[in-house]
Amino acid sequence: MFIGFFYKLKEAGIPVSPTSFLTLHKALSRGLVSSLDDFYTASRAVLVKSERYFDLFDQVFAHHFEGAEMPDYEGVELDELARSLLESWLKDPKTLASALDLDESEIAKLTPDELIEYFKKRLKEQKERHDGGGRWIGTGGTSPVGHSGNHPGGMRVGGGSRNRSAVKVAMERRYRDYSLDGPLTQAMVGEALKRLRNMIPAGPKNRVNVDETIYQTMKNAGEIEIVFDRVLKDRLKIVIAIDNGGWSMDPYVLVVQTLFDYARAQFKDLKIYYFHNTVYGTIWQDPSRYKKPQKIEEFARFDPETRLVLVGDASMAPYELMASDGSIHIEERSGKPSLECLKFLAKNFRHSVWLNPMQSNMWGYTQTISVIGRIFPMFELSIDGLEKAVAHLMAK
Amino acid sequence: MTSEKKSFSGAKRYVLDDELAKIVNISMALEMPLLLKGEPGTGKTMLAHAIAENLGMPLIVLNVKSSMKLVDALYQYDTLTRLNDSRFGDSKRDVSNIEDYIKMGKIGQAFTAGERTILLIDEIDKADTDFQDDMLDVLDQMEFDIIEIDKTIGAKNRPVIIITSNAKKDLSDPFLGRCNFHHIAFPDPKMMRRIIRVHFPDIDSELMESAVNVFYKLRELDGIEKRPATRELVNWLRALKSDPDFKAKDLGKGDIPYLGVLFKKSQDYEKAVNTVSRRRLT
Repeated sequence: MFIGFFYKLKEAGIPVSPTSFLTLHKALSRGLVSSLDDFYTASRAVLVKSERYFDLFDQVFAHHFEGAEMPDYEGVELDELARSLLESWLKDPKTLASALDLDESEIAKLTPDELIEYFKKRLKEQKERHDGGGRWIGTGGTSPVGHSGNHPGGMRVGGGSRNRSAVKVAMERRYRDYSLDGPLTQAMVGEALKRLRNMIPAGPKNRVNVDETIYQTMKNAGEIEIVFDRVLKDRLKIVIAIDNGGWSMDPYVLVVQTLFDYARAQFKDLKIYYFHNTVYGTIWQDPSRYKKPQKIEEFARFDPETRLVLVGDASMAPYELMASDGSIHIEERSGKPSLECLKFLAKNFRHSVWLNPMQSNMWGYTQTISVIGRIFPMFELSIDGLEKAVAHLMAK
Repeated sequence: MTSEKKSFSGAKRYVLDDELAKIVNISMALEMPLLLKGEPGTGKTMLAHAIAENLGMPLIVLNVKSSMKLVDALYQYDTLTRLNDSRFGDSKRDVSNIEDYIKMGKIGQAFTAGERTILLIDEIDKADTDFQDDMLDVLDQMEFDIIEIDKTIGAKNRPVIIITSNAKKDLSDPFLGRCNFHHIAFPDPKMMRRIIRVHFPDIDSELMESAVNVFYKLRELDGIEKRPATRELVNWLRALKSDPDFKAKDLGKGDIPYLGVLFKKSQDYEKAVNTVSRRRLT
């Protein structure tokens, strides 16, 4: 029973295990589940083990039991469109204003976020009209209007939960904010980075190990035997370099800032540098990239066990990376192409990663991303990507 | 077992939604631990207390700490007392019988109790993964060994196990595989009003409306590190109610007293005060 449902969950990328599927059947055979509503709660509690997958589960459930349309990549497309919209807005507010039927002065009042929201709304309306509202065709008795994705949070959860059907609940997609591509929060970043901690005993043996002392004393038939230990210390050194220049990074500055804020609190020996687009001969210790330059040759003196983390979108014109005088800043002429500088860093630090705030499925479209990706292992700046990056940094 | 037929439907001080009640009942029937996640203040710990109250079963709480070893939760061999007894010999315990010096930890207590108990394992995410995996082994087998006396302690009654986690780390896969899972979302305003009614049955509805409104707006301020949760709201209401000079209307005017009750971190507090004084929140 429900084997199709199980495989659909698996295909959607939810890590469901056969054991838990059997457990679900145990619940079914004991008569614990008497309606579709019960089945929804039971199957989610038994099969899905993280709230990050609740949203996907809701979608698959709605699809399987009501024939609702499966998620497509509309969201991604929208975001990309929104981004390009923002770019054109920066360049030419006037044309855009007329395209959106808005007064230029009105558009100027909107923040970029508001603008994107407004744009997305308009785009969705447009779509709805073209598609004839056919997004939830085949949903049977459920009302398609309130659930068509126009108002994802439209119906509220909570108090009146008694009479709603499970499919309606599933269609509401209440757990959207928790899903894998949800926003990166400080706490998540902090947790991911915490795994970088590398505690090893250091210094003189000057701390009494009480438990061991008691145990050894007992073994010694009550004659006192005191055991000393070394203190645990975090010896990991970390260098973070952030691309904070140029408007191509602007949309990500907040995310990177979160990473950076947490990084401060996590490690004792942490150095933060800034660069623009890519690394040439010098990187800077101050965010304005002016006062405190640091030659990258000096990194050779650093402990090779230092973990190097570069954060940037790695998107630029190819010549900025390959040409020997590629920097767009005239004063940055080291005579070496940036590519060489990056290779030098990668050789110098065995453990290094590049975190890219762009979604990984977009990487293929930018040449410089794949070039840099061959030098540094590149990970997406998301919860999953961070975890993978940390695992890579901590690998032997 | 008669206790299996009991089912859970809520308690006096706890507002339960249907979905969660179903999940609790299913987990009890399947005899699987229930893992609860959710941000602080969504009532994860309260749930265990509520189940215990509702079903009239004793509650045993294991508060997990980061330095904890599994053995601490199972049993403790009190070597120090034994040493003392062996030197001074003024107690009734038999020094040659190690069993006299074994004390049960929280899990041990739940196993050896005369009746079915609720075992709440609070904030499991604080401990390291080894602890978690080992513990699940014990809870799976429902028995553990006491090495010192070479004895196996089995559970007389399978306890109802509730595990909470603060949604920071994801737990390991084998761990998750053996639990049922539920994520408690932060209550929406409607639910919150019900929760407030449970705590303050005679609350003035104008005060409640405006307080809940302001509370949800304050929660949505940007860049707040620790957002106020249910506990803070309840305390805040208590503070508002005990202030004789306070009128519910003031909240609507953007005059919000006792922000310190809601925001515990000094940065958050400053941010909130700034926002509140700059523009009206209503």
